[in-house]
Amino acid sequence: MNPLTKLVLAGFLLVLGLAVPWPGTYVLFIALILPLALAGRILKPFLVALFKLITPFAVPMILIQGLFWTGGTPVIGEGPLSLKAEGLLFSAASIGRILILASSFLLLSLSTRTDILMRDLVQRGLPNQLLYIVVTSLQILPRLQARARTILDAQRSRGLETEGNLFHRLRAVVPLVGPLLLSSLIDVEERALALEGRAFNRPGPRTSLIEISDTRREALARIGLSVAAVVIFVIRIAWALVS
Amino acid sequence: MDRLRRDFNTVTLVLIPLAIAINIAVGQLVVAAKVPLYLDSIGTVLVGLLAGPWAGLVTGLLANVIWGLSGLNTFATPFAIVAGVIGMMAGLFGGWRWFKRVWLWLIGGVLTGVVAALLSAPISAYLFGGVTGSGQDFLVAFFRATGASVIQATFGQGIVADPLDKLASFLVVYLVVRALPSRFLQRFPRAKNVSG
Repeated sequence: MNPLTKLVLAGFLLVLGLAVPWPGTYVLFIALILPLALAGRILKPFLVALFKLITPFAVPMILIQGLFWTGGTPVIGEGPLSLKAEGLLFSAASIGRILILASSFLLLSLSTRTDILMRDLVQRGLPNQLLYIVVTSLQILPRLQARARTILDAQRSRGLETEGNLFHRLRAVVPLVGPLLLSSLIDVEERALALEGRAFNRPGPRTSLIEISDTRREALARIGLSVAAVVIFVIRIAWALVS
Repeated sequence: MDRLRRDFNTVTLVLIPLAIAINIAVGQLVVAAKVPLYLDSIGTVLVGLLAGPWAGLVTGLLANVIWGLSGLNTFATPFAIVAGVIGMMAGLFGGWRWFKRVWLWLIGGVLTGVVAALLSAPISAYLFGGVTGSGQDFLVAFFRATGASVIQATFGQGIVADPLDKLASFLVVYLVVRALPSRFLQRFPRAKNVSG
C-alpha cells in the first residue's frame, strides 16, 4: 500500500474518532481500527504498544476525575473516597479519544517506514530539507540515547547522585544533559561540510533509486477519505455551534 | 526572504535533527528518572537562539510531530504548536540580545513558560482532561480536589509546571552555549545573539 494512503487513512481515522461522541470512539476502535491492524498483520505489536501507552494515562485519569469530580454522585465506594459517576463518564470519553489518537498514530508508525513515507512526499513536492530533518532525527535518536546512557554511567562513577530524593535528581540534570549536548554539537560542523559537498541545499529536481508503488484506486481512495474527513470536521463544528 | 534563507543554511539544517533528537532523548530520560519536569524543549530553545525564530518554530513543530509518529509518545503531537511557539519565543528573545544578560535570558524562560501554559491548557483539557500520565498529574488532582473545573485545574498545573520547566531549559541552554568555543558559534546564522 502506498505510504501516503496510509497517512491519509490515519488522518481520516483521527478526524472521525475525535468527531464522534463518546460511545462511538469505542465502537470505532473495535469495528474499524482493530480489523485494520489485523489486516496489516501488526495486531500483536499494536496491542502491546497501545496498552503501554494508554495505561499510564487511563489509570490516573479514572482515579483523579473519579475521586475529585466536584459535586458528583458517588457510584463506587462511600463519601469522599468514592468514584463519582460524572468523573467516570468523563474518563470514559477522554480515554476513548486517546484510544483513537494513539491508535491512528500507532497504525501509521507500525505499518510505515518513515523514510519511505518521506521519500514519497518529496516526490510529490515536499522540500528535500524536510525529508532530511525527519529521517536524520529518527536515525540519530538511538545513538543519542546510547550516548546518554554512557554519560550517565560515567558521571555516576564519578559520584553523581542520581537516585534518592527529588533535589538530587534535579541537580543531576545539568551534568547529564550538558556533556550530551556538547559532544553532539561537535560534529555539527563536519556534517554540514559533508552535506555542502553533496550540493544538499541547492534547488533542483533529484532522481531517486527507490520506487514506490501507487495505484489509481489508492489515489481515488485518498481523495475520497480527505473529502470525507473535511465533511465530518465541518459537521462536527456546526453541531458544536448549534448545541 | 534573504534572511530566511540565511537562517536555514546547511549548518542549521544539520542542527535541527540533532535538536529534535535531544528533545526526545532528554524528554524520555526525564520521565524514566521520574523528574517532575518535561525538559523536552532544550533543543528547540537552542535552535531558536542560534538560528532565529523561524528555525525555532520549525524545530518545535517537527520535534513533537516526529516524537508522536515514532510511536514513543503519542501525547506529544497535539502540543506541536505550543512547542513551535516556544522555539519562536526563544528566537525572539535571542534576537533582542536577551542572552547577553543571564537574568534577562532567564526571565525570557519564565515568560515562555507562561505562554506555553496558556496555550497548552485548552489542548490538554479538551483532549486529556488535564491528565497526561506524567509526574504532574498530582498537581491536577490537587486542584480538582479543591473544587476547580477541568480547565482551571489544567491551567493551574500548567502555570506552576511550565515556567519552571522552561526556566530550567533556558538555563541549560545558557550553560551549554557559554561552554562552546566562540569560533564554533560563528557558524550559526544568529551568532550575534550569543557572542560579540
